[in-house]
Amino acid sequence: MKKFIAIALLGILAFACKKKNSEPSERFDRSKMLENFAQNLIRPAFEDLKNQVITLKTAAENFVQNTNLQNLQALQSAWESAYTAWQYANAYNFGPAGEQGLRKALVEEIGTFPVSETKIENAIANGNPNLSDFNRDARGFLAIEYLIFDLNGNNDNILNNFASANRKNFLIGVVNNIQMRIEEVALAWNGSYFDEFIRNNGTDAGSSTSQLYNEFIKSFESIKNYKVGLPLGKRPGQIQAEPTRLEAYYSGKTLQMIGEHLKAIQNIWYGTDKNGNDGIGFKEYLQSVEGGAALIAATETQWSAVLNAYNAIPQSPRISEQILNSPAAFDKLFTELQKHTRFFKSDMSSLLGITITYSSGDGD
Amino acid sequence: MRKFVSYLTAPIPAYPLGVFRLVFGLLMVFGTVRFMVLGWIEEHYTEPLFHFKYWGFEWIEPLPRIALYGIHFLMIAAALGVALATKALYRLSAITLFLTFTYTELIDLTYYLNHYYFVSLICLLLCLIPSPPPVLKKGYLVPRWAIGIFRFQITIVYVYAGLAKINYDWLIEALPLKIWLPANDKLPIIGEIFSWSITPYLFSWAGMIYDCTIPFFLMYRKTRLVAYLAVIVFHTLVGLLFQIGIFPLIMIGGTLIFFEFETNTLKSPVLHLRKQTLSWAIAVFLFVFFTFQLLFPWRYLLYKGNLFWTEEGYRFSWRVMLMEKAGTATFYIKDTCTGREGVVNNREFLNDHQEKQMAMQPDMILQFAHFLGKYYEKQGLCKPQVRAEVYVTLNGRPSQLLIDPNLNLMNEKDTFASKKWIIHHQP
Repeated sequence: MKKFIAIALLGILAFACKKKNSEPSERFDRSKMLENFAQNLIRPAFEDLKNQVITLKTAAENFVQNTNLQNLQALQSAWESAYTAWQYANAYNFGPAGEQGLRKALVEEIGTFPVSETKIENAIANGNPNLSDFNRDARGFLAIEYLIFDLNGNNDNILNNFASANRKNFLIGVVNNIQMRIEEVALAWNGSYFDEFIRNNGTDAGSSTSQLYNEFIKSFESIKNYKVGLPLGKRPGQIQAEPTRLEAYYSGKTLQMIGEHLKAIQNIWYGTDKNGNDGIGFKEYLQSVEGGAALIAATETQWSAVLNAYNAIPQSPRISEQILNSPAAFDKLFTELQKHTRFFKSDMSSLLGITITYSSGDGD
Repeated sequence: MRKFVSYLTAPIPAYPLGVFRLVFGLLMVFGTVRFMVLGWIEEHYTEPLFHFKYWGFEWIEPLPRIALYGIHFLMIAAALGVALATKALYRLSAITLFLTFTYTELIDLTYYLNHYYFVSLICLLLCLIPSPPPVLKKGYLVPRWAIGIFRFQITIVYVYAGLAKINYDWLIEALPLKIWLPANDKLPIIGEIFSWSITPYLFSWAGMIYDCTIPFFLMYRKTRLVAYLAVIVFHTLVGLLFQIGIFPLIMIGGTLIFFEFETNTLKSPVLHLRKQTLSWAIAVFLFVFFTFQLLFPWRYLLYKGNLFWTEEGYRFSWRVMLMEKAGTATFYIKDTCTGREGVVNNREFLNDHQEKQMAMQPDMILQFAHFLGKYYEKQGLCKPQVRAEVYVTLNGRPSQLLIDPNLNLMNEKDTFASKKWIIHHQP
């Protein structure tokens, strides 16, 4: 028996050593990847978002003090910049931005859509908005959007509505609430969580890689399911397109925001920062593992199909009209996103050996 | 035959059985407390909207949360009884432990694990043995079979797990360990070795040889101590590498049954040894039980295709940590009257674990499809058709379609017959 084992082991040794040279890549350091994410993607995303929200707050304060067209336009433009910045932080709903007790994940607290017009109008009428209850569809960026954009671009309507002091208070309340939540997260990423994130460098459930990966997938799927699928009426039981379910429905900036979100997802996969500097991301991680090269090729091919589908969508009319009258182009984006799902979802987690649930697995 | 019976019923020291039930019972207490503290009663049983059923046990439903807590407390009490009690209280505890544990395992197929199945079988065997003597008291005897059945069951688990590892991917490609081990390169001290390209090969072969041979080295007195050290090292290492809960402890504790602890049997007083130690009923039951245990894992030979791909005959066969498999399953629901087809967001119905398990196992895909069909029919869809586009990756190979994406799954039933709608794996 011992002889047999010894011979077998020698055999494998010889075999394995021979194979070594053809290995796709040597050591991959997950800590370096996490460092790149923390340093060049996540912290700057929250930092930028924080600054944009400060600008948004100033614009909102100016607007409620002097409710005129010029200040409204400044506010609308500040909202657009802040909400664009949010797309780049959308995928990081873990750690300080994760669910904790009654607080939901950041994306639910400040990014819920569609908003409920009724709830918002009731909260304004009551004059005492509660911004920490379950009505997440009555606060956040898209509640502000509802308040400051007229569906038909008629700014006079908005100005008239804002004669109400309650409305002004509500606007400021919602902006402050967003600012409070984002500053909390930005502060954590500037402080101890930054190192904690890099140090937690395993692949078990709860490791930084696993958390980042999970939220990356959720963020990607939220584009497909909520930003594109639901408005198109793709959910079983829906009988028609539902434009009011679109993200940024009132401002009509739907397509632009989806584009930014796709860009943010792409940046994470490549490990690229907002200025286009490529660092260590999931792609580099895949390069280092068995079967990675094939998956990278398949992913890149399908991702360019996604981007082509996106670029083929006409800029006007706005998406809420397109999905009613000529949905084909937007529909094509859904199809390509759907085709892409497996490359990000099961194929990638499987190759990287990332554990996505806490439950016990099969033992040996 | 008579010789065999008298061999099986010959009295031997009861001490190993005492150690075994004590360790097993206490581990069950620990495991159950851990399960509750981790919030898994809610996460596994009460929160999901849908549960995947075991074939033949479709009638098992999760009780309300409070009742499930009651059952788990009962399980703890029963496990303590198995560890410490004697006579009627022992018997009552063993039966209760078997029933409560097996019930909770049968609630949802998602959480099927070979080691839970093993625990259920051990609990069943514990119900059958003669009333054991007081725990950790020397000088008592039990018939040989009362200890032998546990040794036999553990031997089956190891050897079958080892035989399952004799396949091309495991031994020649060192898959899936080539995927799993580098993911552990950040473990303290030993992490470094998992980034070496030879490590997966060594571990694959060592694992296979270990599983196939360890029970025999444990049976043989001269090698027993070294073998037990190997048991400790092996399971500790595997426990560090993979998220497998209390399984390593169960095996490290369970294999203690191979020890004798006391050698001088003749001087011991023969106490509590009934004359009729193996009733016909129990003998027949054990014969059927072990015949089943020996044969059932081979049923996969009756199916065509790659077992790892189709998973027809995969479960209940000690195929542990054998493959890296994952899938993405997209379900399409079509209203037959309007022709409109919608796409399901699985997360609306399933938790992460359920979705992950479902997306690569044909019988679970079928169950979920039927659930969706019925659900949307209630929502007002007209005679819904359900089809699923399922892409699965096996051991790091590019993903491919698992089942026919155009088939209306509402017309298919889950039986032991071969599933014709599985698309066979293209190497």
